[in-house]
Amino acid sequence: MHFSFLPSVAEQLFKDIQKIYQDTLKFVFGTCALQALDLVDQRSVTCLSSPSGRRTFQVTGGSGRTYTCFVSCHFCPCPAFAYTVLRRNEGLLCKHLLAVYLSQAMGVTQQEAVSDQEMTTLQPAHRE
Amino acid sequence: MTDILTLVFKTLTSRGELAAVDDGSLSAVAPARSALVVGERALSRTMLLLAAVTAASESGLRVFFLTQTQIQSLPVALHSRVPGLTPAALKKIKFCYPRTFEELLVQVAGLHESSHSPPSSPALIIVDGLECYLCSPAPCTSSRLQTSEQCSAAHLSALLCDTASFLTQVLEKHGSAHAPCRLITSYQPQRNSEQSGEASVDSVLDVLDRYFQVRCTLDQDRSYESTSGGLQQVWNIYLSSCLEVKETSCKKDDMESKEEQPVQEWRLLLSADGLMEFKLAQKH
Repeated sequence: MHFSFLPSVAEQLFKDIQKIYQDTLKFVFGTCALQALDLVDQRSVTCLSSPSGRRTFQVTGGSGRTYTCFVSCHFCPCPAFAYTVLRRNEGLLCKHLLAVYLSQAMGVTQQEAVSDQEMTTLQPAHRE
Repeated sequence: MTDILTLVFKTLTSRGELAAVDDGSLSAVAPARSALVVGERALSRTMLLLAAVTAASESGLRVFFLTQTQIQSLPVALHSRVPGLTPAALKKIKFCYPRTFEELLVQVAGLHESSHSPPSSPALIIVDGLECYLCSPAPCTSSRLQTSEQCSAAHLSALLCDTASFLTQVLEKHGSAHAPCRLITSYQPQRNSEQSGEASVDSVLDVLDRYFQVRCTLDQDRSYESTSGGLQQVWNIYLSSCLEVKETSCKKDDMESKEEQPVQEWRLLLSADGLMEFKLAQKH
């Protein structure tokens, strides 16, 4: 977003909004909230779609690894999801899943088309 | 999915018992699209086969049945009790035998490709014996291995649920009366040694409960009065909503056990020659 084209009052307004969202998100989702916002800023979330109509999300993590997440239910192959969410039950989402939700809400998800065969091979990828 | 299971129970209920079963008594568990059958391996497998045949013959659903062990024959209970059982109905069931966890993932992930020909899209996905794909044969003592098993369970469950959700959209888009796409799986908790305890068993089942809406528990009644001199087995079947149990647990501040509260109970009489009869017991 090009803040430099806006009046200073609007720019300050958006910064205030960003601060409020960060505090609320952090309260609900914990430390992964800011990490998720960073991923959103980096445009790390891509929605893959195939001719069959199937969709899935890929998130490029901070380390450059790509994680394939599902649309309708929560799963991410990252270690944080396995440990914090599944094993310890201490978190609702990992940063990748939260980034998917935020990107969708903010309309900044990248779009990419793949073939049906590529979609089939993407989802069984257990570890990236 | 509860509608399919209830249809199975009603189909194999005696006429006398069926007269006493009304729709109001069957509404204890909210309609759900996914169910997890937990219990003894052979009976779960039979239950899933009953569900597949009943769905195909009575409801006309196209079924995709995945299991590791090849099915040699249909259960005896089916031979004379399912009215619409015909070769044409059986053709609606596609059996698939993935040998490994990875093969199972590929089979499920590829189901979306059937959407190009909607009549071939399944409206019921059945996976028999999740423990065969998820759990290591040796007792799980490593926390790292437990986490890996949990992650595998979550991955498979999420893929199944997401695939069923997509197929529901396909069915609805084409105006199919068979929507939504239902999902039923079975899982037998492993009998681990004392050293490993029950931690690894509960951890996988706990993960599965996150993704499936209803749990169908099979519990053998071993009381003397029920065995009739060993001529038959009696099983209690509990249908309970996993989602309702989780929400109830979150609202309470105390540390009560998170064991599910059964909300609907059936009884199964299993004779030595394989014949099955269901009875609606009570609802809680």
